[in-house]
Amino acid sequence: MNLEVKEPIDLVRLSLGEKIYIKMRGDRELRGTLHAFDQHLNIVLSNVEEVLTVIEIDEETNEEIMKTTRRNFEMLYIRGDGIIAIAPPKRF
Amino acid sequence: MTSKSPSDFLKNIIGKPVIVKLTSSIEYKGILACLDAYMNISLEQAEEWIEGQFKNKYADIFIRGNNVFYVTPQKKRNLQDL
Amino acid sequence: MLFYQLFKSLIGQTITIELKNDIMITGKLISVDQFLNLKLSDVQGTDPKKNPILSSLKTCFIRGNVIRYVLLPQDQIDTQLLKESAIKEAAKIKEEERKMQNRK
Repeated sequence: MNLEVKEPIDLVRLSLGEKIYIKMRGDRELRGTLHAFDQHLNIVLSNVEEVLTVIEIDEETNEEIMKTTRRNFEMLYIRGDGIIAIAPPKRF
Repeated sequence: MTSKSPSDFLKNIIGKPVIVKLTSSIEYKGILACLDAYMNISLEQAEEWIEGQFKNKYADIFIRGNNVFYVTPQKKRNLQDL
Repeated sequence: MLFYQLFKSLIGQTITIELKNDIMITGKLISVDQFLNLKLSDVQGTDPKKNPILSSLKTCFIRGNVIRYVLLPQDQIDTQLLKESAIKEAAKIKEEERKMQNRK
C-alpha cells in the first residue's frame, strides 16, 4: 500500500473494504462498506443503511420532535456532490 | 506572522488545532492532519458542533472541500482559564 | 473514468435511480457518458409517493448531477475488481496532482 505524501483523500483510500460513515446533505447519514471512490468522491457502498432525520414541530406544544427513517440497500452508488463528510464508523 | 500567500498559511497550520466552518451551521474543531488544493480536509480528534451545540466526536474525519467556508487556528486556552 | 466504466458494464441492466428531488425511477440502462449522465428506457415510477408526474414517459435522459443514488444489482458487481480499480484510480489522481504541482 502506498503510504507516501499525505492527502485527505488517502484517508478515504485506506478505508477501502472497510465500513464507513458518510454524512450527506439533506440530513442523511449512511453506513456501509466502501468498495470504490473517485476524486469527486463518487462512491459505491454495499450493505448500506441510510438514516434520514426530520425535525417535526408539534402544532400544539411547539416542541421539536426528531424523527428518523431508515432504509437499507444491498449496493449503492452515491454521487459525490451530496457528500459533506466521511469517517470510520462512530463508536458509541 | 507574515505569510506570503494562502498556501503558506495552510502549511503553517498543519498539525495545529483548527476550527473548520462549513457553509451550513456545522463546525468541526480538531487537529488539521492535511488538506489539498480543493480544500478537502482531514482532521484528527474532531468535535462536531451543530448550531452551537456539541453533537459528535470523531477520531478521524474527511471533509469534502466544497462545503468548507473557512479554516482558522483555534486559540490555545490557558490552563489558568479552566 | 472509474464510474463511467462501472455504468458501462451495467448497460442493459435494470436499475433504480433516486434523484435529488426524491423522485425514484426504474428503467433499463441504455447509455452513459463521461459526465455520468444516464439514458434509460422502459421507465416506471418505483414509489407511488415519489412518482414522476409524466407516467407516460418511456425513455429518458437524466442529467448526472441531479442523481443522488443509483441502486445497483449486487450480483452484477465484482467488488474485488471495483476495489482494485479504485486503488489504481487513487494512484492516477496522485500522479495528476504531482504533475499539477510540478507545473506551478
